[in-house]
Amino acid sequence: MMTSRRWFLGLVFGLAAICALTPTAGVAQTPAAYTPPRTRDGHPDLQGIWQVLNTAAWDLEDHNASLGVPAGRGVVEGGPIPYQPSALARKQENFAKRATLDPESKCYLPGVPRITYMPHPFQLVQQADKVSILYEYQHAIRYIYMNGNPHPRGPIEWWLGDSRGRWEGNTLVVDVIHFNDLTWFDRAGNFHSDALHVIERYTPTGPNHLLYEVTIEDPKVFTRPWKISMPLYRRQEQNSELFEYQCNAYLLEQEWNNPASTLFEK
Amino acid sequence: MEQSRVDVIREIGLTAALLALVLAPALSAGQAFWSKDTPKLPMARSWVAQKAKLPPYTPRRTPDGVPDLQGEWSGAGGDNNSFLEDHDYVDVTTPAQESFVSDPPDGKIPYTPWALAKRNEILAGLARGWPGESGQRLYTSPGSFCLTAAPVFSFDAQEIVQKPGSVIMLTDDAYRVIPTDGRPAISQNAKFWLGSARGRWEGNTLVVEVTSLNGKGWFDSTGQFYSENTRMVERWTLVDANTIDYEVTVEDPTIYTRPWTMTFPKRRAGTGPSGPRGVSVASVLPPVNNDPYAKELWETACYEGNNESLQSIHSLGYKWFTGVTPPK
Repeated sequence: MMTSRRWFLGLVFGLAAICALTPTAGVAQTPAAYTPPRTRDGHPDLQGIWQVLNTAAWDLEDHNASLGVPAGRGVVEGGPIPYQPSALARKQENFAKRATLDPESKCYLPGVPRITYMPHPFQLVQQADKVSILYEYQHAIRYIYMNGNPHPRGPIEWWLGDSRGRWEGNTLVVDVIHFNDLTWFDRAGNFHSDALHVIERYTPTGPNHLLYEVTIEDPKVFTRPWKISMPLYRRQEQNSELFEYQCNAYLLEQEWNNPASTLFEK
Repeated sequence: MEQSRVDVIREIGLTAALLALVLAPALSAGQAFWSKDTPKLPMARSWVAQKAKLPPYTPRRTPDGVPDLQGEWSGAGGDNNSFLEDHDYVDVTTPAQESFVSDPPDGKIPYTPWALAKRNEILAGLARGWPGESGQRLYTSPGSFCLTAAPVFSFDAQEIVQKPGSVIMLTDDAYRVIPTDGRPAISQNAKFWLGSARGRWEGNTLVVEVTSLNGKGWFDSTGQFYSENTRMVERWTLVDANTIDYEVTVEDPTIYTRPWTMTFPKRRAGTGPSGPRGVSVASVLPPVNNDPYAKELWETACYEGNNESLQSIHSLGYKWFTGVTPPK
């Protein structure tokens, strides 16, 4: 029951957001009429190795450069992220203390959509009953089930949430709920609660590009749903492949014998 | 895919589970408890005898014309990779079991004298309450830190998906993408936990060469090690519709006196117990019910949920295993 109501609300809010917001991010909003190849199951074939080419990992909003951070235009549509006042204060505190508070610094699974725009490639693999996303970052894997099962009954708190997919024309639409409240959206402290509801849309706009649009809803943190969008680029290198970024292994090996480490404090 | 076993673990009291995680890290991978009177579990020796009697089998082909290995496959079973050489009952996580090693025939890893001394030092420092321990805490298995390395990935359950030019292996928290398009491996100067895997088809067999290993993984929970010079060659062969004969040959002249091989069967999920059959195995639970979610793989977040165990292992003084440096 809860699940279907959330679905409906998500759809309504999602549509409302799409209708209401004036796009300001630099992504073309009308995907060109492109007909992608089909898989043997008859669905649009989005398979391959993809990666973003932007600075969303550092900050979803417009930002200047600083040491180790490239400047960039934001990917949020329609103005600033619509925080509730108390949540905005927490975002600002997160930003100030980001060096220690950012869950990325502990190598935890980064949540959705953050894992998409980490500076690492990922691979889409399609089967009849699911789309799997293999992320180079932390060797993470995410299953988007399309087997007819609704979201399982909660409460469940997963780092990457529970993903259920469907096809709308050439677009893979993914509804994600059952998150924990421990992940952020970027390295600038943008955050959410365990009430996060994410709707992702992957639309092929050409043989080597997907338009990635995400509607974000969290009534505990934001005043209304909001949206980000960005292109995903197919990796063009001959012999491109996913390697390993075993963040937790590198972190543990570095910290294990460091007497000043705070990683092992209870 | 080992959901039923995981459920058993969830039912154990938290304290006992935490203690067990520290003492026997392999438990976190979904291990059952074993009683002292469990008959010796079969592994390589039994499997070699069984497969010698199998009639020839021609597997179905994919639309691309290569053997179709797709589906969900069990792991090796047995003591869940706790102790890979032949051993008698050690503790509740480590029942008596045949060796994983089929060659040499004695089932022992053919370490050089230097490497054997190193291996015995690690074994004596496990502090698991076993005979012959040194009283020191030396290393715990990298598996306790939720780190997946070759070839242990293949010892566990996985789903195999084939696409033109690659074989993809999926688990609940990791994956491998093995190119079969003839591309060269990455430089041996670049090292990875899972190495760099390159596949090719030889008759009905998927042959996977694994190089660029970082040498920081173990074969089991007792410190059986390889090095960054090690090369592994895996062979995946369908021997009937529901069984893959898995073999891996390990080569490394810097720590072994000769190449050596491990083997066991992987069974198609839902077709019965894992491992070489013929022994009644107390830990095998009835098949999963008709829960529509039973076939889904749900997030395990092993590392994220492992903080208590990490703290314990760290506070007990275990060192981080950074691999061995064989003498020149």
